[in-house]
Amino acid sequence: MMATSVSASTSISNPLHVSSDHRSGPFRRLSQLRAYTQTHFSTHHNSSTSSTSPPSSTPSAQPRPARRHSISGRRLSWFAPHTTTRTDSAQPTATDSSPCPEPRAESSTPNRYSAILFPSSRGYEIDVQPHTQQPSESSESPSSSESSSRPTRETMARLRSSSSRNDHESRGEQASSAPAPATLLSTIQTTTLDSPDPVTNDGSSASSSNSKQGATIRFFPHQDLSQSSRPSLPFIPISRTLPSDTSSIRVGRYSERDGLPTPNPSEPSDAPVGFKSKVVSRKHCEFIYSNGKWHIKDVGSSSGTFLNHMRLSQPNMPSRLYSIKDGDIVQLGIDFRGGEEMIFRCVRLRIECNRGWQQKPNEFNKNTESLIKNLGKGEAVNYNGCRECSICLGSVLRPYQCLFMAACAHVWHYKCVSRLIHTPDYPMFQCPNCRAYTDLSAEVDDSNDYDAESSSKQADAEQEPADEIRSTTCSPQPAASCASSSPSASEDRQTPELPTESSLVANVENMRLSDITPSGHDSESSITSAPIYNFGLPGWQSVTQSPVPLPPHQAIIRVDTPMRSESSDENPLTPRNDSGPLAFDGRAGMS
Amino acid sequence: MGSQKRIAKELTELTESPPEGISVELANESNLYEWKVLMDGPEGSPFHKGKFQLKLVLPTEYPFKPPTVSFVTKIYHPNVTNDDKGSMCLGMLKADEWKPSSRLGAVLQFARSLLEEPMPDDAVEARIAEQYRDDRKRYEEIAREWTRKYAAGS
Repeated sequence: MMATSVSASTSISNPLHVSSDHRSGPFRRLSQLRAYTQTHFSTHHNSSTSSTSPPSSTPSAQPRPARRHSISGRRLSWFAPHTTTRTDSAQPTATDSSPCPEPRAESSTPNRYSAILFPSSRGYEIDVQPHTQQPSESSESPSSSESSSRPTRETMARLRSSSSRNDHESRGEQASSAPAPATLLSTIQTTTLDSPDPVTNDGSSASSSNSKQGATIRFFPHQDLSQSSRPSLPFIPISRTLPSDTSSIRVGRYSERDGLPTPNPSEPSDAPVGFKSKVVSRKHCEFIYSNGKWHIKDVGSSSGTFLNHMRLSQPNMPSRLYSIKDGDIVQLGIDFRGGEEMIFRCVRLRIECNRGWQQKPNEFNKNTESLIKNLGKGEAVNYNGCRECSICLGSVLRPYQCLFMAACAHVWHYKCVSRLIHTPDYPMFQCPNCRAYTDLSAEVDDSNDYDAESSSKQADAEQEPADEIRSTTCSPQPAASCASSSPSASEDRQTPELPTESSLVANVENMRLSDITPSGHDSESSITSAPIYNFGLPGWQSVTQSPVPLPPHQAIIRVDTPMRSESSDENPLTPRNDSGPLAFDGRAGMS
Repeated sequence: MGSQKRIAKELTELTESPPEGISVELANESNLYEWKVLMDGPEGSPFHKGKFQLKLVLPTEYPFKPPTVSFVTKIYHPNVTNDDKGSMCLGMLKADEWKPSSRLGAVLQFARSLLEEPMPDDAVEARIAEQYRDDRKRYEEIAREWTRKYAAGS
């Protein structure tokens, strides 16, 4: 056992020596992750072009101004009409002749407004809420399902509508919404009524809370599991963090001529996202962050933008803003000629957004933290909520086992979960407990972004003193699948003998950084008392199954936004298009 | 096979503390992958007082692949095929719904709750589902009769 665990640990959590060098804090990881995904993506798409890289490619030199400039200047070639005036694009009513129901038109009641006008400062609080709750047990966790004498209809009931999709929705909505009705009302009074334009209003109010942490959205390729559907265009996961609240992410066809600007990986970027498909229009759609929520808007694409299988607008007509939430599926265009050729395939994106709350300390990941800290300490440890491997149902608490921890803080034996890691989808890993996706090839995030914020949180996060943590880090750790063969004596009082203390620490720290990337990572040791789990890896899942009760307004909001539903699986609303990638006459929309 | 340990563990748990109205044993002591399940018809359903035998078959890839549940005892139910296979349609056992963290105990409990409250929208026997929806009385009558006829044993 010991021999195997050691070898596993070295193969999986790699350069140990690096880790002890930098102790600059865990939070830098987030930006690194962003950076990585961005470079990854953009280099991929730029490989064949000599792109005229706009000023935004050097934001490190002069971050904000350069980017702003690029928005109004160079990128005009890419998405001209919408780049010039942001408010225009976000304000469909003014210019829009779209046949879609206009939100503004119906928005005479405060409720209506509240839908659109989600106060972003609230959004912030919401992020934190899950961890103030008592998530005693997740319904995901096997132990709880066992303890409940009989499964309730809701949790046990079949089908996506109740099981996995509910997870998605509650997650998404929980994250994105739901201030107490009272506060919502007051916000409506103060903000909504006197500034009728949600977007501009947002610009000012959102900046206060989000200036530090830009809104992040990720796009993952989505393949419909239903039998009939054809494969969509493959692409590498894309991540964007808005540099400012007024920027938006434009999506369109990748063009050899325009190329794609290469965003500086270490900075937020609103660089356009391009797809190499003929069914994607040059200017296809935009993602806009406003009032604490992400929205999507078709900007006049010819073959359509579909949100959960519902087409947002007629051909060549811009649509209004539709709010999107985590787990939504966006389809760009329609397969042409059956999508046999790659260039004619539509693009299906799974949206991941509003995950901020997952990255902050919450009951579940703090619990995992204590599990890790206490591993190998033996007695007198409160293991409540700390878990068993959901695959073999054995305990993950025993020391000297190779463990694997996903970004959602779910932990398994490496041996058990390995066949879910090494799949054809490889860099993408789906947590078997909560179905959160993680890009395992993403660069580790060692960003400092959350430092200031977290330091305040640390106070109430009941952290132990740093040296205490330090001692615990010497104990065998689950996350990176390495079970250190023996704990260090010098630092750990409880454990008698030990080999290489430093490597153990490194191992441990790799793990606590939830570093699950088999590819190289320079692990930063962070022996600060910072909460371990608030790094920005994708796929943080709360196990908290008691979502914030949604105010009634919330329900109203979602009514006019297409939902994912079971019935949509067969794409009933996604028409076939055999008339051409640029079906201007609307046939594609109506067939 | 790593799955054996887990299956054995679940089996032990289910035999030691069986859920209400459910008892579990191996169909054949030498095969861990096939279970014989005895289920009491839940009270308040037309299957009350019936004893139903089910077969739970675990794939070798378990828990990565879902188990299959089928009724050995004939049963008049919209979600159970009315043939000699008696396959049962459980949403949570569909390939894309299944999670390795789901437990067999939960699967069986769910199956039992389905006896109490069929899901006509997800029926494999459309005719029975229709009857369940439109003529509940007749459905219960037949179900009771079948229960008497086939599931009265012991």
